[in-house]
Amino acid sequence: MQLELFGMARELVGAPSVDVPMAGPATLDALIVALARTYPQLLGTVIDLDRSVLIEPNVLLLDGRRAPDRTETFDESDRPCLLFVPSGG
Amino acid sequence: MMYAGPREVLEVDLTTRVTRRYALDDDVFAQTLGGVGLAVWLIERYVEKQGRIDPLGPENPLVFAAGPFASTPVPAANKHALATISPLTGFLNEGLSSSHWSAVLRRCGLAALVIEGVAPDWSILVVDDGDVRIEPAGDVLAMSPRETTKRLRERFRDRTLRVCAIGIAGERGVRFASIENDGRQAGRGGSGAVMGSKRLKAIALRGHGDVNVANPKRVAAISAILRDRATGPATAKYRILGTGANLRVLQRMGQLPTRNFTGAIFEGAERITPEAARESRAAFVELRAGCAGCPVQCEHMYVRRGRDRRAAAASEYESVWAFGPNCGIDDLDAVLDAIALCDEYGLDTISTGATIAFGMEAAQRGLIAGDAFATPLAFGNSAVLRPAIEAIVSGDGVGGLLQMGVRGAAERLGPRSQGFAMHVKGLELPGYEPRTLPTYALSLAVCTRGACHNRAASYDLDLRRPDAVFTDEERVRTAIAAEDEAILWDSLVLCKFVRGCFVDFATEAAELWSAVSGLDMEAEELRLRAQSTWARKRRINARLGWTAADDTLPVRLFEPICDGPHAGRCVEAKKLATLQKVYEAERGIDRRCAAAQAAIREV
Repeated sequence: MQLELFGMARELVGAPSVDVPMAGPATLDALIVALARTYPQLLGTVIDLDRSVLIEPNVLLLDGRRAPDRTETFDESDRPCLLFVPSGG
Repeated sequence: MMYAGPREVLEVDLTTRVTRRYALDDDVFAQTLGGVGLAVWLIERYVEKQGRIDPLGPENPLVFAAGPFASTPVPAANKHALATISPLTGFLNEGLSSSHWSAVLRRCGLAALVIEGVAPDWSILVVDDGDVRIEPAGDVLAMSPRETTKRLRERFRDRTLRVCAIGIAGERGVRFASIENDGRQAGRGGSGAVMGSKRLKAIALRGHGDVNVANPKRVAAISAILRDRATGPATAKYRILGTGANLRVLQRMGQLPTRNFTGAIFEGAERITPEAARESRAAFVELRAGCAGCPVQCEHMYVRRGRDRRAAAASEYESVWAFGPNCGIDDLDAVLDAIALCDEYGLDTISTGATIAFGMEAAQRGLIAGDAFATPLAFGNSAVLRPAIEAIVSGDGVGGLLQMGVRGAAERLGPRSQGFAMHVKGLELPGYEPRTLPTYALSLAVCTRGACHNRAASYDLDLRRPDAVFTDEERVRTAIAAEDEAILWDSLVLCKFVRGCFVDFATEAAELWSAVSGLDMEAEELRLRAQSTWARKRRINARLGWTAADDTLPVRLFEPICDGPHAGRCVEAKKLATLQKVYEAERGIDRRCAAAQAAIREV
């Protein structure tokens, strides 16, 4: 599944997007586990060490507009983005 | 136990040259905590005494109040608050700055410094431990804050002298002039113009006193934990990328205000992201800086390779946004130059960029001359930034109009410009799109300071769950919680960039406050203190003439966004009115009462 990266995720991976190996549509939890397995450099900064949640302020939004709930499945056509909640400035 | 920290207030009347030092009771610190809470408490006493205040008149007090954790081991806490009546809004303006000056204020034995009156000639205020002097400004006049600091250090033969100063913009009364210390600015609301109106160029501090804490062991233990957390993932975004990283994200979300809020997508965004500068190491050099005692060191400055490093500019999101997307400019060199120029002249970058963007649209509509400069005052023209900023400072030609800020300029241009005058209560909007952020829109409308994203930071809810449906009550509760929490951060004063380092902020902050101050407090009491300060801010504004009509948003925000994924969205006037009613009920605001207060003052 193609995943767009922003902020620390992009910094740590060194690319604006990545292919996360998924068999088909996935839930957020499944994507996080697969992402952690493929890009372990995200552990501890973007993904929690137990691989279950994203660390604040990182969030996953579909097309930058919609937060999937934990049971919802989505695929590449939903344009998932791993970004952070902007603040301050 | 008694309050352990410095408790004295130094009042300086520049007109009479009389100074007075007095100690505050424990009760004042227990009520206000310090920082913004204390500054607002002090301002209210002046407003009660004086009634209507001309922001640029001698009666307007300029208050500096130290953060209660400054000059202690607590990390990210060397900060001070500043409060005065804003020449942009006519209402209360409270801001923050940080670093060494804040710490030394307390080492001078001071909890606060209050400046009144007008000096007969341009002056420097010197607080040299217990000695207070007013000296001629002399050769530092017309210098930048940075040059002023350097020259005063030479004059005093002391490289550790701490200086806060205004630039030429403050000297000339530009309504959005800033005050700088240690490379940090109290930027918003025109406090620099207030300092300039007093003919006070700089305040130099030298302090060597001890700053005591009530429970040194406990403070050291908590500080060590916070310091450790502040070097972890909770601050990675600020530490490694800086706030400029917001730009790419907001662009992706379709929420990047562009060309004076005419759009929410900027086609040139990628070319001006600080990350792009960082990634092209061949083109730009990155420099890092931060406040004294802060492990985060969040400031990321860039300068084109080969140029003098002293020309490096901070790439904070709001500054880059103001001169970039908001002016339709995708030239990073020009944006960084504009930011550096603002720092040199002592101007708030948000208001400067927003006012130029307003000027660009006014020129586009034929309300002001588009050929006022050698190059067109037009969206996308990077070459106009420098001459426009210089004109704002000099007041020449169109600059005389723009230096009044967006509201002042729009009033001068007449009703045809009101539709695109992007301000709340006279303070120009920062770089978040209220039409996509309904909770934030409410917060902006009711904010006592005007359009301030740091006092009205409820956008977090909207950005985290952009598609979620919330009840009016949920939005109002979020807005109120964000206001109160901001007051707590600004009173304690802790940098908001370490908020991820607290698991339960109110509880941990109460423990920290008790250990530092010696005045025991529970989390709930801390929240009540924030509410008291909020009420104090409202009372001050009511006395200064606030009416319910001031709590509104720019006309453009009630019109639909024209591009991007959120095209068609707008702030619905009826919805905003409903939210305001719920907010006022929750906060206990009586519109008639506020009006009555104003009427009493007029009588």
